[in-house]
Amino acid sequence: MDFLANWAASIPAFAVPFALAAFGLIISEKAGVLNLGAEGFMLAGALAGVGLMIAGAPPLLALAGAAMAGAAMGLLFAVMVAGLRIDHVISGLALVFASGALTSFIAAQYRWTNTAIGGLEPVLLEQDIVVFATPFICLAVVWLLQRTRFGLAIRAVGENPGAADAAGIDVTNVRFAAIILGAALIGLAGGYLTVAVTRIWVDGVVGGRGWIAIALVIFARWHPWRALLGALLFGCIEALIPRIAATGADVPRYFLQMTPYLATLAVMVWAAMRGSDRWAQPAALGQHHVREDRT
Amino acid sequence: MAAALALKDVTKVFGGFRALDRISFSATAGEVHALLGENGAGKSTLMNIASGIYTPDEGHIEIDGTPVVLKGARDAALRGVGMVHQHFKLVRSFSVLDNLRLFNPQTAPSALSDRAKSLAAQMGFNIDLARTVGTLGVAEQQRVEILKVLVAGAQIVILDEPTAVLSDEEGNALMALVRSLADAGNAVVLVTHKLNEALFHSDRITVIRSGRKIVGTIPSETDAKRLTTDIVGEYLVEEPALSAAAGSVRLGLVEVQQPGSDGRKGLRGASFNARGGEIYGVAGVAGNGQDELADVLSGMAAPEAGKIEIAGAGDVAADGPDARRRHGVATIPVDRYRQGLAGGMSVADNLAVRGALAGRYGGWSRFDRRAARKRAAELVESFEIQGVRSLGQRSALLSGGNAQKLVLAREFEGDPSIVVAHSPTRGLDVRASAAVHGRLRKARDRGAAVVVISEDLDEIMLLSDRIGVLSGGRITAEFSAPADRAAIGQAMVGHD
Amino acid sequence: MTEAPGVERSQAIGIATAGRPPLRLVPILERRSTIGDFERISVYGASLIVAALISISLLAVAGVAPSALGSEIATVAFSSPRALGSVLAQTAPFLIAGLATAIAFRANFWNIGLEGQMIFGAICASVVAIYDIGPEWLRLPLMMIAAAVGGMLWIAGPGYLKLKIGVSEVITTLLLNYVAFNLLLNQLYGPWQDPVSRFPHTEAYDTAERMPFLGWENLSWALPFAVVLMLGLWWVYSMSRFGYLTDLMRSNREMARAVGVPVVGLSIAAILGSGAVGGLTGFAITAGVEGRMTQDFFTGYLFAGVLIAFLGRNHPLGVAAFAIFMAILLLVGQSLQVFFQVPFSLVQLIQAIFIVCVAGSQFFLTYRMHWRGAA
Repeated sequence: MDFLANWAASIPAFAVPFALAAFGLIISEKAGVLNLGAEGFMLAGALAGVGLMIAGAPPLLALAGAAMAGAAMGLLFAVMVAGLRIDHVISGLALVFASGALTSFIAAQYRWTNTAIGGLEPVLLEQDIVVFATPFICLAVVWLLQRTRFGLAIRAVGENPGAADAAGIDVTNVRFAAIILGAALIGLAGGYLTVAVTRIWVDGVVGGRGWIAIALVIFARWHPWRALLGALLFGCIEALIPRIAATGADVPRYFLQMTPYLATLAVMVWAAMRGSDRWAQPAALGQHHVREDRT
Repeated sequence: MAAALALKDVTKVFGGFRALDRISFSATAGEVHALLGENGAGKSTLMNIASGIYTPDEGHIEIDGTPVVLKGARDAALRGVGMVHQHFKLVRSFSVLDNLRLFNPQTAPSALSDRAKSLAAQMGFNIDLARTVGTLGVAEQQRVEILKVLVAGAQIVILDEPTAVLSDEEGNALMALVRSLADAGNAVVLVTHKLNEALFHSDRITVIRSGRKIVGTIPSETDAKRLTTDIVGEYLVEEPALSAAAGSVRLGLVEVQQPGSDGRKGLRGASFNARGGEIYGVAGVAGNGQDELADVLSGMAAPEAGKIEIAGAGDVAADGPDARRRHGVATIPVDRYRQGLAGGMSVADNLAVRGALAGRYGGWSRFDRRAARKRAAELVESFEIQGVRSLGQRSALLSGGNAQKLVLAREFEGDPSIVVAHSPTRGLDVRASAAVHGRLRKARDRGAAVVVISEDLDEIMLLSDRIGVLSGGRITAEFSAPADRAAIGQAMVGHD
Repeated sequence: MTEAPGVERSQAIGIATAGRPPLRLVPILERRSTIGDFERISVYGASLIVAALISISLLAVAGVAPSALGSEIATVAFSSPRALGSVLAQTAPFLIAGLATAIAFRANFWNIGLEGQMIFGAICASVVAIYDIGPEWLRLPLMMIAAAVGGMLWIAGPGYLKLKIGVSEVITTLLLNYVAFNLLLNQLYGPWQDPVSRFPHTEAYDTAERMPFLGWENLSWALPFAVVLMLGLWWVYSMSRFGYLTDLMRSNREMARAVGVPVVGLSIAAILGSGAVGGLTGFAITAGVEGRMTQDFFTGYLFAGVLIAFLGRNHPLGVAAFAIFMAILLLVGQSLQVFFQVPFSLVQLIQAIFIVCVAGSQFFLTYRMHWRGAA
C-alpha cells in the first residue's frame, strides 16, 4: 500500500513538466511552427529557476523567471523561423545545442552546478500550487485557442497562412506571439522541473523531457486535454522509477531508466500507425510564408 | 462619375521581371468588366494589386475617385474591394462562420451571422454556416469566398478565373450571379482567359498581354477572332487533328478503386481502355477522381482494388513507378514544379535521370556527366526549351512552358508506349500549349497510347480521339471525336 | 486616413515632411529567383566571419583578449609537430563523425542519433575485444565490422519507422541516444566494469585490439582510415550514379520517385551507411584514442557532427575542412580552460554561434528584402 501511495503522490510532480511543455508546444505548433527547440527552452527555464532560487528569490518568482528565460529563447527562435524563415528543423536543433551550451556555461561561471536549493512547498495533499494550477492552464490554453480572436488567428496561420494573410492577419506577428507564449510555458515547465522536482542543477538536467513532450503532442494530436492525459501517463512511468528503486527490488537500474524513452518511442509508433494525424496536424506545420511569393 | 475602382499607371517588377508595365484599369458600379489575357499576361498580378495583396512599384489606386494605399486584402475589402481568388483563400478545417469571422474580426459573431444569412439569401445561396469548409463542393466554396468579401462590405468584386474549377453548368450559374451582383450596384471585375465569358457576360473588355494594356473595348464592337489576336498577338488557333489509325489496346483499367485524399471520393470502379495510336481524353469536373487516376496510372499509388493491365505485362496494379516505367509508361504530372522537376538541380541533371536509370551513363558506381550533358544539350535543342542560358542553370528558373517542355523531353526519352498526362497545359500560354499538344500528338502518331486527363473541356475536345467522362470516380460515358460538347457537359454533371 | 499617391522613395525613408503624416517603413520580402555563386560564397563567408567575431567578443568578455587568443591558437595548433599531431589526431574522429552525419543529411534524413550509434557500435566492438572473439590478427577487423553493424542496427529502427510509417526521425534517433547511454552505463557499472580499478570503464583493450600507431607523433591509423573514408565518399557523391540520384532525391523526393528513382533503396542505403559510419566513429575513439570504452567517450560528438556536416554543406571536402576547424577549437578550448579558467562549455557555445550564424545566412540567399513606406 505504501508503495502505491508514494507512487501516486509523486506522479503529479513528474507529470507537470510534460504537461506544461506540451501546452507550450501546442500553442506554437498550432501556428504552424514545427518546434523542435523545446528541450532548449526547458533548459533555459530550468537554469533560470535554479539561479533565481540561489539568489534568494521566492519559488514563484523563480518560476516566473523561468518562463521569462524560456520566452527569451523563444524570441531568438521566432527571429530565426518566423523572421528569417530559416528551416524549422535546423533552427530547433541549433537552439537546443545553443541552450545546452549556454546553460552549462552560465552554470559553470556562477558555480550553480550541484547546489541544492529549497523547493516549492506543498499546499494540499502533498502537492504544490503548480500541480493544481496545471488543469487551469490547460483550460486557459483551450480557451485561448478555441474561443478568442487571437486563437482563431493562430489556428488560421497554422492551417493556411495565405488565407490568414488575405484576411488581414499579420502572419509573422502571430507566429512571433505564439512562439514566445509557447516558449514561456515550456520555460516554466523547465523551471518547475528544477525548482519543484530535482531541486538541483546539473548540466542537461532536462534529460530529453523536451523531446518526450514533442512526441506527446503528436500523440495527443495537438489537443491540450489529451496532452494532459499523456503527461499523466508519462508522469506515472517516471514516478515509478524511483519507487521501484526504493523497494530495493532487483531490477536493472539502467534498464528502468530507459523506460520513458522507450515508452515515448512506442507512443510515437502507435500514433503513426493509427494514421489519422494528417487531420489533426496543422496543415502548414513547418512551412514558411512569404506574401510576395509568386506562384 | 468617378470609377468605383481605378488603377493608374501601375508597374510591378518581380526580381527583374516586369510583370506589369504602366497599366491603367478601371471598373464602374453596375458593370461587369472582363479583364482578358492569357496565362502569364499579368492579370492576376494586376488584380492582386487592386486587392491590396501586392504593393505596386509605381502608380497608384483610386477608389471612388480618392487615392488610397491598401495595406492588405482585408484593408481592401473594408474599403470595398473584394477579391475571390482562383485558389480559394479559405481555411478548410474551419467552419464557414469561422472563415467569415477571420475576415471580419470587428463584427460580433451573431451580427456577422445575421448579415451573412441575409446576403446569402440575396445571392440565392443556401448555406449552413456551421459546415466545415473542407466538406463543401468547389462551387460552394467559391460562393463562400464571394460571401466573405460581400460581408466585409465589398462593392467592387474581383473574380479571378472563377470558372476554371467549375463545370459548364456551374459556370453558367456563376455568370448569372455575377450579373445579379452588378445589377445590385456592384462593380464586378471578371478575370478570365476564356473569350466567351468576356463576349457574352461582360459590359466592357480590357485585354492585356505581357504586362501591357493592349485594348479596351465593348463586346458589341469586337469578336472572337479579334480578341484572340489581341490576346496572343497574332491569330493563332489550334485545330484538332485526329488519329490516323488506332491500334490494339495498350492500357486497360478494370474497376479500379482508390480512396481520395482530403476526404474526396477518389476512384470508385473506374474502367476504360486506351489503344495504341490514340489520345484518350479523360474529361470531368475537378475533384471527381482525376488526381487519384493519375496517381494509380503512374504507379505513385497502388489502387485499393481493381486491375491495371498493360499489353504484354499483365496486371501492373501493384507495381511502383520504377516498374511501370520499365513497362514503357511515361508520366507528365499535374504540378510540374513539385512532381516534374528537381528545382534545385541543373537542367542537365534533370534531363539525365531517365538515361542514368537506363544505364546510359554507366553502372551504379559511375555517372558520366559529360555524356549526360551532351545528351541534355541535344534534348534542349530538339524540344526547343528556351531560357536555358547554360545547362548548369537551376531548373526552377525555367518558366512554366519551358519547364513543361523539359518534363516532356525527359519523359519521351526512350519512346514510351504509354503516356499519361495530367492537365499538361495548365497555366501555359497559347503558344506553349500548342507545342505541348504537338508533342502529345507526335507520341500518338508514333503509336503510343496517350491518356490526357484534363479539367479543361476545351483541351479535351481539341486533343482527344476518344473521350471518357470521369464523374464520381467512374467513367460514366464515352464519346468518339468529333463529339458533341453539350452531351459531354451533360455527362460531366450527371450523377449516378 | 488616405495617403498621397505615388509616394516618393526619398520620403519613404522615414522623415516626416511638413504637412504629411510620418511614414512607417515596412519590410517587403521577395524570394530570390536566382543567385550567383559569388554571392553564395560571399554570404557564407560573411556568416562565418560574423560568427567568429561574436565568438571572439564572447571570449574577450570571459577574459581572453583577442591577442592572447591568437597566440593560443598558434601555440596549440601550429607551434610544433607535436601540436600539429594533436590537431590531426583529434581531427580523425571528428571527420568520421561529420561524414556519418553528412551521409544522412545528404539524403534528407535528420540523423540526430550519432551518439547512440557510436555507443552501440563501440559496445559491439567491445564484445569482440572483451570476449576475445576470433584470432588476434583478425581481432581489429572484426571489431570494426562489429562497430559498423552495431551502428546500422541502432539506426535501422528509426529508418524503418521513417520509411514505413513516417515517424519523424529527428525524435526517434534522438531518444535512442538516451537508451544507448543507459545501456552503456548498465554495462560499465555491471558486467564490464574494470575489474582492477573498479572504475566505470572497460578493462583496457589488448594491443591487438587497438588501432596501431603510425609512427609519427601520436597519430594512429584512425586518421588515414578517416581520410580514405572521406575520399571514398567524395568519389561516390561526385562520380557515381548513386550520388547523382541521391542528390536528385534530396532536391525533390516526390519527383525522383515519379521518374523511377528507387528512393526507398537509396534512402535505406544512406540511412544504414550513416549508422555504420556512426558506429565506426565510436570504434575510432575507443580503439583509436582511448584504448577502452569509457562512460563519456562519445560526449559532444553529436553536436560536433551536426556542426561539421552543416557547415561543410554535407560535402566530404567541406566536412574535412570543418573537422580540422573543430579539432583546433576543441584543443584551444581545453587549453583556455587550463590557463584562463574559461568553462569548457564555451567551446560548445561557440559551436552553437557558428550554426546559428550560418543557418541565419540562408535568409540572405533565399530572400531579397527591401523597405517601403506605408501609411
